[in-house]
Amino acid sequence: MKARKIKELLIFALFVFPAVAFVLFATDIPFVMNLYYSVFDWNGIGKNMKFVGLDNFIKIFTNDRLFWQGVRFTLKFAVFYVIIVNIISLAIALPLSRPGRTSSFGRAFYYIPYIISLTTLSLLWKFIFGPGFESLYNLTGWEFFNWSWVGTPKLVFYVIIIMTVWQNVGFYMVNYIAGIIAVPRELMEAARIDGASSFQVLRKITLPLIMPAASICMLTSLTFAFKLFDIIMVFTKGGPANSTITVAYNIYREAFTKSNYGMATAKSLVFVVFVLMVTVVQLKITKSREVEA
Amino acid sequence: MMKKLRKINPLLIIVLVCSVFWLMPLALIFINSFKPHNDIIMDFLALPKSWSLDMYIETWVMFEFPRLVGNTLLYTVSSIAVVALLAPMAAYKLARTKDRLSKVCFGLIIMPMMVPFQSYMISLTRLTANVNLSGTRLGYIMVNIGLLMPLAVYMIHGFVKNVPIELEECARIDGASRIRTYFNIVLPLLKPILTTVVVLDALATWNDIITNQLIVGGKQQAMNISSALYMQFSANTSDWEHALPGIVMSMIPALIFFVFMQKHIMGGITDGAVKG
Repeated sequence: MKARKIKELLIFALFVFPAVAFVLFATDIPFVMNLYYSVFDWNGIGKNMKFVGLDNFIKIFTNDRLFWQGVRFTLKFAVFYVIIVNIISLAIALPLSRPGRTSSFGRAFYYIPYIISLTTLSLLWKFIFGPGFESLYNLTGWEFFNWSWVGTPKLVFYVIIIMTVWQNVGFYMVNYIAGIIAVPRELMEAARIDGASSFQVLRKITLPLIMPAASICMLTSLTFAFKLFDIIMVFTKGGPANSTITVAYNIYREAFTKSNYGMATAKSLVFVVFVLMVTVVQLKITKSREVEA
Repeated sequence: MMKKLRKINPLLIIVLVCSVFWLMPLALIFINSFKPHNDIIMDFLALPKSWSLDMYIETWVMFEFPRLVGNTLLYTVSSIAVVALLAPMAAYKLARTKDRLSKVCFGLIIMPMMVPFQSYMISLTRLTANVNLSGTRLGYIMVNIGLLMPLAVYMIHGFVKNVPIELEECARIDGASRIRTYFNIVLPLLKPILTTVVVLDALATWNDIITNQLIVGGKQQAMNISSALYMQFSANTSDWEHALPGIVMSMIPALIFFVFMQKHIMGGITDGAVKG
């Protein structure tokens, strides 16, 4: 009996442990290390680790202007991004959800920006807003093209919105299409026979029934917005004049530019709580508005 | 003919016309990659005067593309090979075992899906440095596998639950060992979801820049294509004559891959999210 159990355990280990080992190395152990470092004052290299208890956390809440500026920027970005990306992707998903070759071409077109790399994305838009706009200004003389889009704090916000929306619309579109296809056709036809207009069908039948898909899109777009980091790191590096520092990028800078490892890890934990809280609230709200077909 | 025309939804036409505009930025990159700098500034909407590949060849040689492409291919192939081997094994066993150890292991694997990457990113670079793996190809591959694993296991785990257990039991009764049962009976059944996982992970690895930057840093030898182009051109953004051919070349494999794997790529998202 005992030998059998050991054999079972060995087989389980053989199947599961290699995968676990990779995940432990890349994520779980570093996460625990983060917890540990967050109560130290440490520059990340030297042997000097000073235990400071909760001082790092207290500092974040009382004396860190840039962090809270990052929170404001992130929230502002989230509001714009979530609204714009969901409206556009739902609007294109509605006609593209019909079966057929034409709409599958349309879907592929909108999806392509989602498969390009961040380097391409960032150089691409730097090119358009740089030499591209310069050339358009020479051609048209419109002042609009002569503005320094990437170099002005106010304008670069819109550039980041344009870039992120442009890249990600395809992803949400696919999710909305999956939701729309799942709506039973009989319901729409019945409403049509009863004399409902296209708009009424959309408002009273399609939209309530795609709430599960919509809640997934809202949630993923919201968490994407809160975690906005890659594009900032590659595209603006937080500039101009620190105007595009998001919470996540602030953590990165704290660790790798300023070498405040302890502080950076403490911030990252505040960030985890922040993201989890928003996710839970958002999930509660959208879940309560779902309708059964 | 009339009937066919009327069937096309006017909204669909609007959306299709817009989709062409949606791809305009990519088209502009492409046509401008053939132009000298002066022509770009003159009129960046115009077609190039000649479609000569000179700048492409120069970029290819100057930035050592053979090494970059080689690295990126090595990373992509080795990462998806390991994920495709280990993720389904773990997912299958975890879905079929219902004890505490299994629950703990599953929790460890999907934990990173719940917390943002930034909450362990800093110490991850620390840890790879401590074990002397930062700046190396091996270190990058190992970290990349670890980062791809959670979603892969999670997606396959959801799929295994719907695979009937009877087939395995039959094979066991017929005397096949556990390992044989898995490779001969179970694995073939997981092919649809495994394809999706492999395709998504291949794209993610090919396009990766953040992980490569964090683990490899400035080490030329181990950079992938995105990382090297980024290092080269984010510092020196006026060199568009080389930057544009560079990014077009880095994009082509991903685009070709997309054309052939479109169904898996676009279908894969909803497999993971809506149904999962």
